[in-house]
Amino acid sequence: MKGIPTVLITVSPEVSAQMRPPRALYPKGFKIGNSLGRPNMRELQKKVLRDALRLLAQNTRPGSTETILYPEYGEQYEPPHVRAVK
Amino acid sequence: MAISRKCVPFTPFDRELSKSTIALVTAGGVHLKNQEGFNIADELGDLTYREIPPDVDSSHLMVTHHHYDHSDADRDINVVFPIDVLRDLEGEGFIGGIAKKHVGYMGYTMQLKAMYEGTAPEIANEIDKGSRADAVVLTGG
Repeated sequence: MKGIPTVLITVSPEVSAQMRPPRALYPKGFKIGNSLGRPNMRELQKKVLRDALRLLAQNTRPGSTETILYPEYGEQYEPPHVRAVK
Repeated sequence: MAISRKCVPFTPFDRELSKSTIALVTAGGVHLKNQEGFNIADELGDLTYREIPPDVDSSHLMVTHHHYDHSDADRDINVVFPIDVLRDLEGEGFIGGIAKKHVGYMGYTMQLKAMYEGTAPEIANEIDKGSRADAVVLTGG
């Protein structure tokens, strides 16, 4: 296997960062279960998917997460946080 | 060969998106309605995955996952598995095509080692060998 380029769309950036995804998009404030946006908001869903795909073609730093705000999503949600190890 | 947990497994993408074929892999518990659902009764999680064909009617997809609220995905599967959105982008010429195989699994497990060393490479192999994908979009729940 030579490897295959991937891009992750994450709504839990702190949690997913623990697995070191090579490229990731965090649509800021989207709740869990809404990775692409809300149901039937096709234009928003297309925008998110285009932005994720563009990360493939951009020379991003391996392991970085791009945060993008989509105001049309509406109400924002706080993502889950990773508990600090004591 | 196992990938080090310390490294970022970055594979460069050196193609044009408009000529590239894209696959979807979701941890959101997505599968065809006529496929066996994921085993939510097992508190350790379910290490299996389901292949989803490229010509799937999105109304034939469903979610079995008990660790997130998938009521929105029940109304529109594209919020976690954007197969119709991908078709739109293909129609626009933004991407070149849709891969021959996509994958759904239930992204919750207490068996991390088995998921990391077993299921994940199996899924990667399915996509690498069977989908003709140039790149993969990963989604969670």
